[in-house]
Amino acid sequence: MKDITLGQYYPSDSFTHKMDARVKLVLVVAFIVAVFLAKNFLSYIAVAACVICATLVSRIPISKMLKSIKAIIMILIFTGILNLMFYNGETVYWSWWRFNVSLEGIIFSVKMVLRLVLLVMGTTLLTFTTTPTGITDGMESLMSPLKYIKVPVHDIAVIMSIALRFIPILSEEVDKIMMAQKARGASFDTGGLVSRAKALLPILIPLFVSAFRRADELALALDARCYNATPNRTRYQVMKFGWRDLAGVIGTAVFIVLVVALNNNFWGAYQSVEAAWWLFAV
Amino acid sequence: MDENARVSNEVVIKADGVDFSYRSGEYVSRGVTGINLEVRRGEFLVILGRNGSGKSTLAKLLNGFLIPDEGIVTVMGTDTADENKIYEVRSKVGMVFQNPDNQMVASVVENDVAFGPENLGIPRAEIEERVTEALETVGMSEYRKGSPNKLSGGQKQRIAIAAILAMRPDVVILDESTAMLDPKGRREIMDTVMNLNREKGMTVVLITHYMDEAIEADRIFVMNDGKITASGAPKDVFLNYDKVKAAGLELPVASKVSKALIEAGYDLPFAITDEELAKSICRLKQKI
Repeated sequence: MKDITLGQYYPSDSFTHKMDARVKLVLVVAFIVAVFLAKNFLSYIAVAACVICATLVSRIPISKMLKSIKAIIMILIFTGILNLMFYNGETVYWSWWRFNVSLEGIIFSVKMVLRLVLLVMGTTLLTFTTTPTGITDGMESLMSPLKYIKVPVHDIAVIMSIALRFIPILSEEVDKIMMAQKARGASFDTGGLVSRAKALLPILIPLFVSAFRRADELALALDARCYNATPNRTRYQVMKFGWRDLAGVIGTAVFIVLVVALNNNFWGAYQSVEAAWWLFAV
Repeated sequence: MDENARVSNEVVIKADGVDFSYRSGEYVSRGVTGINLEVRRGEFLVILGRNGSGKSTLAKLLNGFLIPDEGIVTVMGTDTADENKIYEVRSKVGMVFQNPDNQMVASVVENDVAFGPENLGIPRAEIEERVTEALETVGMSEYRKGSPNKLSGGQKQRIAIAAILAMRPDVVILDESTAMLDPKGRREIMDTVMNLNREKGMTVVLITHYMDEAIEADRIFVMNDGKITASGAPKDVFLNYDKVKAAGLELPVASKVSKALIEAGYDLPFAITDEELAKSICRLKQKI
């Protein structure tokens, strides 16, 4: 049987892997806010330091991290070029029709790209260090206050958990159906776009039929296991806020404070160091 | 465990004059008619029948998935038609289905086993205990933290049984739970079921079309065309070849051989297991 690893979870036993999924979710949100708070290169350096520290304690190989960047390379190029061309700067180096390349534009697009890179690296750390089940459980727990405004938090969590459980099963099924269709002479990789799309139809229909059949049986199985028997459902998986989580929160808080602090020129301190002033001012 | 001590006289499930038919709009298709049966505590009961004989319908009537049109089904005195007590019924009568993949909800084995007790609102410490015990019973403890996707069909089905056991039911119904498995997986499930019944004293109702799974039953019911056409101890039922044949079923090999020998004029008892047959043939040889 195929072993399909869902998402990008990288199994390890590191500090971050052992952290509470809820805390990691909150910290990722805080991190995103911090990235958007950063204004100058000094605060970007602080954010980058945060990402580097987090990567180190997660023991995720650098190559893995770079791969996550590779996935968005087109977006990066696009963002970079568009910002470069359309920014209305003063020091114009090159101009043609509506396009202006200026010093300010270069600096701005570098910042934009840097922001995206840091954003993706920071957030993929979550999916690298947390299993999809862990993320689901964490989200359920974080959303639990919504119960009081009648949001069916638990049902949503069960739906997510079932979806995660069935992705590998259905993907295996797609393989089987494709093989069955190939055995009958179907071809999926020849012809133009339209004929290829049409060739997918004989896969989708059996897939949907079987998915509905599975859903039917699963519904019975849920009933057999007394799903919804009592509103006072208990939880087997308990999440604990441990020392690692406290350390993570403090660490992230330090970096956020640093980012905010570096956004300001306290008492003109930066002017005294030329390089720092340049990083701050541009 | 002593045979007599295992099966008590306490009736756990009782079906009395049960009729049921499937309806969709105008169209009515036959389900089951005139079903009377009692499941006693500690018993290993097998319901045999070919496809379309109504055996799965009967199974679904026993835990309140279907409510009889006529007659009554009670589980330890509770009517399955009582909507307020339906979860009580279902927690007492656990059901394992055919496709192991379609009855698992979590991506981690232990979480899947814990799902039933969670739904029943069992305190956490006790769930832990139940999960450990259930996985031990089916011999899957080492896979506790693993993903069900990597297991074989037989192993998945054992997890599904553990998931039901964790609810601590009084009866376990296996609705064709061996039908999709390879011979090895089937053996695994049958060993698990026998262990459950013989060692733990669990009441088991096994629905199947494999005759060899019925050999070790305390009682079997043969279904054909929505009716119970034969019932009793396996040997007595198998002796009734015509009814077995009419139900579209085939005798186990040992029974066929001994039947042929008896018909050929040899003096030996009717056998249902290979061991019985071997012994009686040996005895016959000594006599000659």
